[in-house]
Amino acid sequence: MLILENISKSYAGRGKVLDELNLHIEKGESLAVTGPSGSGKSTLLNIAGLMDRPDSGKIKFQGNSILGYDSSEAAEYRNRNIGFVFQDHLLLNHLTVKENIMLPLLASPLSDDDYGIKEKYVDILLDKIRITNLKDKFPFQISGGEAQRVTLVRALVNRPSLLLADEPTGSLDQKNANLLGRLLREINEEYGIALLVVTHSEDLASMMRNHLRLSEGKLV
Amino acid sequence: MRLKLSQIVLRSILFNRKDAIYQIIIIILLTAVITGSLLTGHSVRGSLRETSAGKIGNTDVIISSGERYFNADLAGKVSSITGEKAISILETEGYCSNFLSGVTALNVKIYGITNDFFSFHSVDSVEINPGEVTVNTSLAEHLGIDEGDEIIIRFKPSDPLPANAPFAPSENNQISKVMEVSRILTADNAGNFSPGISQIIPMTLFLHISDFNDNEYQHSYSNIMEYKDISEYDVNYANVDEYGTYLANRILIDRTEDIPLMKVLEEVLTTSDIGLDIRRSEKTGEPELISDRIFIDSLLVSDIIKKIPSGSPVITYMVNSFSLGDKTTPYSFASALPSSLFPMIDTNGIIINRWLADDLHAKTGDTLLLSWYDSGYGNLLEEKKREFYVIDILDNDSRYSDPLLMPDFPGISGRTTCSGWDAGVPIILDMIREKDEEYWNSYRGTPKAFISYETGRLIWSNNFGSATAIRFPPSLSIFDISSKLDGSINPLIAGFRIIDIRNSSEQAADESVNFSSLFLSLGFFIILSCLILFSLSISLLFDSRKDYVRILYSLGFKNSLVKRLLCIETASFSLLGAIPGAILGYFVNILVIKALNSVWRGAVQTDALSMQFSLTPVLYGFLITVFLSACIIYVKTNSYIKKLHRTGKAELKKQSKTKNFIWIVITIILSITSVILSRTLQDFTIQLSFIGGLLFFAAMVLILRHYYISDFSKSPRAWNTRQKLSKQFYLFHPAQAIAPVIFIAAGIFAVIITGANRQVLSDKMFLPSGGTGAYQLWAESALPVKEDLNSRTGRKKFGLDEQNLSDLVFVQCPRLSGDDASCLNLNYITTPPILGVDNNAFIRKGSFSFASRIKLDKVINPWSLLNEDPGENIIYGIADQTVLQWGLKVTAGDTLVFRTENGQSLNIVICAGLKSSVFQGYLLIGKEKFEEYFPSVSGNSVFLIDGKPQMSEFYINTLNERLTEYGFSSLEAGKKLASFFVVTNTYLNVFVVFGAFGMVLGVVGLGFVLILNYNRRKREFALLSAVGFTQRIIRKLIINDQIIILLWGVLTGTSSGFIATLPSLISGNAMPWKNIYIMIFSIIIIGTLALWISVRSLNTHTLISQLRRE
Repeated sequence: MLILENISKSYAGRGKVLDELNLHIEKGESLAVTGPSGSGKSTLLNIAGLMDRPDSGKIKFQGNSILGYDSSEAAEYRNRNIGFVFQDHLLLNHLTVKENIMLPLLASPLSDDDYGIKEKYVDILLDKIRITNLKDKFPFQISGGEAQRVTLVRALVNRPSLLLADEPTGSLDQKNANLLGRLLREINEEYGIALLVVTHSEDLASMMRNHLRLSEGKLV
Repeated sequence: MRLKLSQIVLRSILFNRKDAIYQIIIIILLTAVITGSLLTGHSVRGSLRETSAGKIGNTDVIISSGERYFNADLAGKVSSITGEKAISILETEGYCSNFLSGVTALNVKIYGITNDFFSFHSVDSVEINPGEVTVNTSLAEHLGIDEGDEIIIRFKPSDPLPANAPFAPSENNQISKVMEVSRILTADNAGNFSPGISQIIPMTLFLHISDFNDNEYQHSYSNIMEYKDISEYDVNYANVDEYGTYLANRILIDRTEDIPLMKVLEEVLTTSDIGLDIRRSEKTGEPELISDRIFIDSLLVSDIIKKIPSGSPVITYMVNSFSLGDKTTPYSFASALPSSLFPMIDTNGIIINRWLADDLHAKTGDTLLLSWYDSGYGNLLEEKKREFYVIDILDNDSRYSDPLLMPDFPGISGRTTCSGWDAGVPIILDMIREKDEEYWNSYRGTPKAFISYETGRLIWSNNFGSATAIRFPPSLSIFDISSKLDGSINPLIAGFRIIDIRNSSEQAADESVNFSSLFLSLGFFIILSCLILFSLSISLLFDSRKDYVRILYSLGFKNSLVKRLLCIETASFSLLGAIPGAILGYFVNILVIKALNSVWRGAVQTDALSMQFSLTPVLYGFLITVFLSACIIYVKTNSYIKKLHRTGKAELKKQSKTKNFIWIVITIILSITSVILSRTLQDFTIQLSFIGGLLFFAAMVLILRHYYISDFSKSPRAWNTRQKLSKQFYLFHPAQAIAPVIFIAAGIFAVIITGANRQVLSDKMFLPSGGTGAYQLWAESALPVKEDLNSRTGRKKFGLDEQNLSDLVFVQCPRLSGDDASCLNLNYITTPPILGVDNNAFIRKGSFSFASRIKLDKVINPWSLLNEDPGENIIYGIADQTVLQWGLKVTAGDTLVFRTENGQSLNIVICAGLKSSVFQGYLLIGKEKFEEYFPSVSGNSVFLIDGKPQMSEFYINTLNERLTEYGFSSLEAGKKLASFFVVTNTYLNVFVVFGAFGMVLGVVGLGFVLILNYNRRKREFALLSAVGFTQRIIRKLIINDQIIILLWGVLTGTSSGFIATLPSLISGNAMPWKNIYIMIFSIIIIGTLALWISVRSLNTHTLISQLRRE
């Protein structure tokens, strides 16, 4: 589904972060990428989500080369196909949990009918992730673990093909980290959404079907 | 409910309102300044309109006869045709004094009125009777008088005969009266009536119109009374009522509808209205038309002859002498008659009467030498001579031995002896013999000789006219003539002009000095500071919204949508600030208007400005601010979004230290060289000092840059101080430190430079090329001085023939009234006062310099152009460049169109603009041209005087005393020049005050810079925090950087500013030191305070957790 071929990326002062990296993610796959700090995990994720551009290489999504996308096409690609979960929950404090979840729907035009369908889907997800009771609360009224679960629902609202998670459990305690890990796997298995998780956590990595290490800019 | 973008924006605005508080405050201030400036412009223009409307009262249109007069009943005739209210008044020049205290008011508007004047202006409670004088509050306050007090009034009588007309009597033609003030008039009582366009409330004085007409109307017709045919005379004056016996020179009309007034005037105008009278000669039986101005204007002569072709112009002139051999006949009259009257005379021939032939022992064929005073340019009374051969000798009682041919010269006609003549020319009494007196007793002014009209016109016609009478065939009755002329005389030729005073006043106010843009310019630094602060506050706001933007991106929001969201949010905050800001603008306007009426009065010369509210400027202020903020928001959002995408790509580059050092050396050397050269090259002192200051400015900035880009990390002692540690940041980002330094320094530099640019008298201004033209004194007289003060007779008359006054040299200029076009008048002026100047005197002396000049094929001194005739009714004119640019809004080469006294269009081509001079406010033309086109302006009212410099005070006192009856007021030319500086200097003061306030405001921005720098260096500080640096040390590190920037900015601006203004400082010019000290002190205090408050707001406790997260 997503193919990264010979991806290289370097930064001023940091040298080459990714070096001729190759990665294939199939539909429904779950893959954990681990590695030391500064090894380029987040860079890899950002490139996969077209949040950053490689210096060289090719990226194909569902058979199409997407590296040539301009910023609008990239945004559309993210909105339709990718769900992001970050270490910090990154919820907007001025919106309720439900509104935060519905936020991706504003990125592109949607008919009232489609919006209604999505809203029902969100209710299912909220129930599934067991945070229905939080939907009218504001982010500053809920815990970090709950916020991260809200982020997960928000990442799923557009039924993405690929979920990119950047240290999703990094700011959570063990209990909440395990819960989130399980939820990610459930989503992956139940909805067939491919999952690419970059993490320091061996526990989280072990929950994924595949596990690669990023070392010296290459996946091993 | 479906989530909408507007909902997100609204929630975000409400949630982040605290973060936007700086933005809102800045926008409030910006809107207040812009709206306040716009409202100030509106208030000033509104006040000008109000002042003008108050001054003209119910007057919409003025029919003016300029320097000429008409019968006051003309207003009634105009009114009867048009149905509009119309009254006649008489406007004249003069001055008055408090009888007891001697306090004098020179610039007084004196009006002759009747009670109609008050009813015309809808004032029922005021009356004026003959012998009463009323003054307005302004004059009463100036003189310190109350009702019942006595004042001395001197004014020009309404004499139809111009004082400088040939053979006008030389006796002092002024009226002087001591009168009791019957009433002090307020503005509501039409007390401020004045048709002049100026924001200054005039000092006005009103007399009953009959008090102006003491006897002079009668003397005009003394000859008529002596020789008139009563029945015919009565026909001509059948409609003259009591009011009509007075002379007036203005008709005020309260217009309700648009009427072709010139046509109406033509319809009602009779010969008698304009001082033309028709009488019949008993001797020849011919009716003749004469003028109370003695000479009949040549255009009028042509016009009349066109209407009555049988009319023949005649000139009778006083001849100083007829000579033949050793025989001379003094002071006689000779007439020039056309061939239609006297066919025998050819061009060089003369026919004399028997008396003259006997006196000279002349016979036919002899050649007589005639001498006469030429009434040409400057009233020089040059004696001219010409030979004529005797064609014939007539009997003493021949057909044209007609005493009526001699015009009614006021100083001659009524005199019983020749030696009693006051002919306005030097008469050598010794030459008058007994037989001459006998001739006078028997024949009065009967001409002794006749020449052809063609020759007479050539030698005796003058600026006042080309005939002293027009004779008609005896077959024509007086009624025939008057009926052909009445209702058909061209009013323009008769000197009438229609002035749409209400529209002119409104236009003058509408196009007056634009105080809106002026105050926007003066508040430049405040506006700039606000914009910079606003930009910084947006950066700060965006900095705090990084996560928000990151979320939106990750969720697939496109750039355009993210931009839109950010723009809408920030623009909403701007709108929130702009609304109260626009309201606050009204209070700014109140403050500014109060200041203009008091401490900044020098800029407006009045304290009558009032606050005026209008929604339009408020709306404009609001929209301008919103637009400006929208532009900044748009630019900042774009740059922010771009920067977000660039993150991590930018490489840190070290700057070249060697190159920087070379530039430091170069700029310092050049700066020192410029300063040294400025002391030696006197002509370029100001320019070189300014360049020196600028170069030093650059050097100081480069020095700071050098300090920051010097890499101390390579030094073994690199990390031994915390300051060096902090400096490492600027090693890669020197612009972060230099930008605020440049802002602070440039502001201080500009304020100092502006302060030093205050206009003061310098030695250069006293040079011939300077603004005084190297003349020592400038003088003006309330009443024109006819005499030539350089001549022996002129000096003798005024007691200026003393030895210690012998060095005095006068340049005398006649003045045609107009609206002051100097910077002291805020209105847009189209009719400035015109001065006739002796351009040759300026050429000889090399006086004055030009800022601009007309492009001609060859380089010519513009003064010399004033004598030239580039075309028919085209002359050249010169004015101060300031007057051209701001007052008249024209440039060299443009043409101003005026009306001459006899209605012709006079095109004055501006050939040059003077550098700042004592002539500011005037339009200068050659004196010769002035007398040609405005002959009725009698005498000179403006004087440039030269003498011994050390005797200025003596000269001033003596001249003011000796010419006191003319309301003569002299002062040092330098002081006159300096009086114009007050406007510019007040503006500069305002600029310095606003600039200083703007700068103080600007340094508040250092607080924002500090926070932004902190945000950019968070990782660095987090690291320091992690290795044990306390919050206090980190804060100290941050604030120290900014304190250096603040102090270096102050030092750079101050030192380079002082270098740039070195010539002013050395010459001891008045600098606004107080303002500069307060500004520098305030900048340091406010800047430090802003930094301290900002650094206190930084929460360094969270740094480690941030580092951990990253």
